[in-house]
Amino acid sequence: MDTALKPRSTGRLMIVGFLSPTVLLLLFMVAYPIFSLVHYSFYNFSALNPDKGMDWAGLSNYEYLLSDSGIWKRFVFTGKFVFLCVTMQMILGIFVGYRLQKTFRGRDLLFTALMLPMMLSPVVAGFLWRYMLNSEWGVVNFLVSLFGFAKVDWLGQAGPALWAAAVVDTWMWTPFIILLATAAFRGIPETIYEAAEVDGASAAYVFFRITLPMSAPVLFIALILRLIDSFKQYDLFVALTGGGPGSSTETVSFAVAKTAFSYFYTGEASALAVILLCIIMGLAMILVRHLSNMGARH
Amino acid sequence: MTATRNQAYAHLSRWILLVLLGLYTIYNLGPILWLMISSLKSRADLFAMPPKLVFEPDFSGYQSVFGVGAARDSASSVGVFDSLMTSVFVSTVGTTVAVFLGTLAGYVCSRFEFRGKGDFMFFVLSTRMLPPVAVLVFYHMMFARLGLADTWLGLVLIAVFVNVGLATWIMKGFFDGVPKEVEQIAIVNGYSRIYAFLRLVLPMVKGGIAATAGFCFIFAWNEFAFASILTTTRAKTLPVKISTASGATGIEWTQICAAGVVLIIPVLVFFYLIRRHLLMGMTFGVLGRR
Repeated sequence: MDTALKPRSTGRLMIVGFLSPTVLLLLFMVAYPIFSLVHYSFYNFSALNPDKGMDWAGLSNYEYLLSDSGIWKRFVFTGKFVFLCVTMQMILGIFVGYRLQKTFRGRDLLFTALMLPMMLSPVVAGFLWRYMLNSEWGVVNFLVSLFGFAKVDWLGQAGPALWAAAVVDTWMWTPFIILLATAAFRGIPETIYEAAEVDGASAAYVFFRITLPMSAPVLFIALILRLIDSFKQYDLFVALTGGGPGSSTETVSFAVAKTAFSYFYTGEASALAVILLCIIMGLAMILVRHLSNMGARH
Repeated sequence: MTATRNQAYAHLSRWILLVLLGLYTIYNLGPILWLMISSLKSRADLFAMPPKLVFEPDFSGYQSVFGVGAARDSASSVGVFDSLMTSVFVSTVGTTVAVFLGTLAGYVCSRFEFRGKGDFMFFVLSTRMLPPVAVLVFYHMMFARLGLADTWLGLVLIAVFVNVGLATWIMKGFFDGVPKEVEQIAIVNGYSRIYAFLRLVLPMVKGGIAATAGFCFIFAWNEFAFASILTTTRAKTLPVKISTASGATGIEWTQICAAGVVLIIPVLVFFYLIRRHLLMGMTFGVLGRR
């Protein structure tokens, strides 16, 4: 009896011992803060003078946020940014990934080198592009003028700044789509292509009717992860535009940070953070459901 | 007739695709090259129009980052080297702890079935999705109350938190690659589970631990949102420091370019270490499990 019990009990000890530090850390750093955040979002209070106490505010923080045009402006900007950069990344990434399926000399080296931008600090990326996009002496405007166009004040106007931010995010994250797309393309059985060749299918037909549909499950993961990451984008805007000109390039994350750490409207910031969390959670749920569907099929 | 036209069409499209790939490569790698070139320019050359490709190298940016030479005493380079040291310390310690915890948790998740395991794995995955500013609203107060604001210890805690979930998922993937028979045989032969884990399984995932550490280091090293809000003067990391490097004379571009290169170099080194596991690391182990 003793010997029968022993492995099971050490197993249980191992589970508890090995898991509890991580569980406690995450409870303390994720669950507790989110719980508090929801709690704060129903109060009027400021982190600047916490001793003044918290006034019950009910839903007024949410009511205020939903009726405030400034907040809507930030949601609209974030939406435009997400749409622009994710579309560009997906198209570019799928195209380059497809092209990299063909073997040529130095392909693996090129592939590895192309992965680099996504591993860089978003702050470095932001400042690097801010430097290159400077309207007076930036290299981008130099290239623009080489082709005979007028210089553009990229980061000084709301419209171009949105495009600039999308181009920088696309620069950083297209490699991610390339990475996932090539993995998806590699997973398609060679025999299907051979069959298509026998049938005399054109390259375009093969791409749109075989390659894309068959890699859709993995590309969908890429899409959702990019939607989540670009929706909560914060670092890049701090470095690239600082939210300007004016407040025209402030994302929802940026607005949370500004409300909480510049104005110290902690209750209001909490409510906005809860809304942001709900959106992200919604996207995460779609991803998790998709993943379990994928797992069930294989 | 149609055959040759098809051939010409295929030929043309091949060339167009190749040119597009070339253009993308320039878009992708050009900026990094441009940063490296610019980091060696003097202030005057940095703003030259048209941009200079031939110039006399100037190391004042690097001098100010490393706190040596003439630039050491300039007002803009005060504390930059300290922030580099903060980054090195915080990333190293944070990575070590995160990999340690992730290895333990990953092993358990790979080997045991227990109640709530799926919930735990999802909970861990959620740290990948979490918008930093959301929890920061709370951390900002919590860190002040616990005396962790603007300290190395606080930043280490953040570096561990940011990475522990990733480490757990990646390590679970590597442990899944080790056959369960290893432990079964060890136990049949009278060794303890702990012995089997420490002496038999761990050595088999050495490469995985190194790759996990590589990922964690890069993410800790690049971390910005938390560090920028939770530090003010004493414990700024290098990314935070350069984001505030705009002084009275405007943005210190020589310093930023040099700091940018200094921030990229460790990433290059660790990137080489993890290049085979990129898919797994970047998707939190969702894809590319081996």
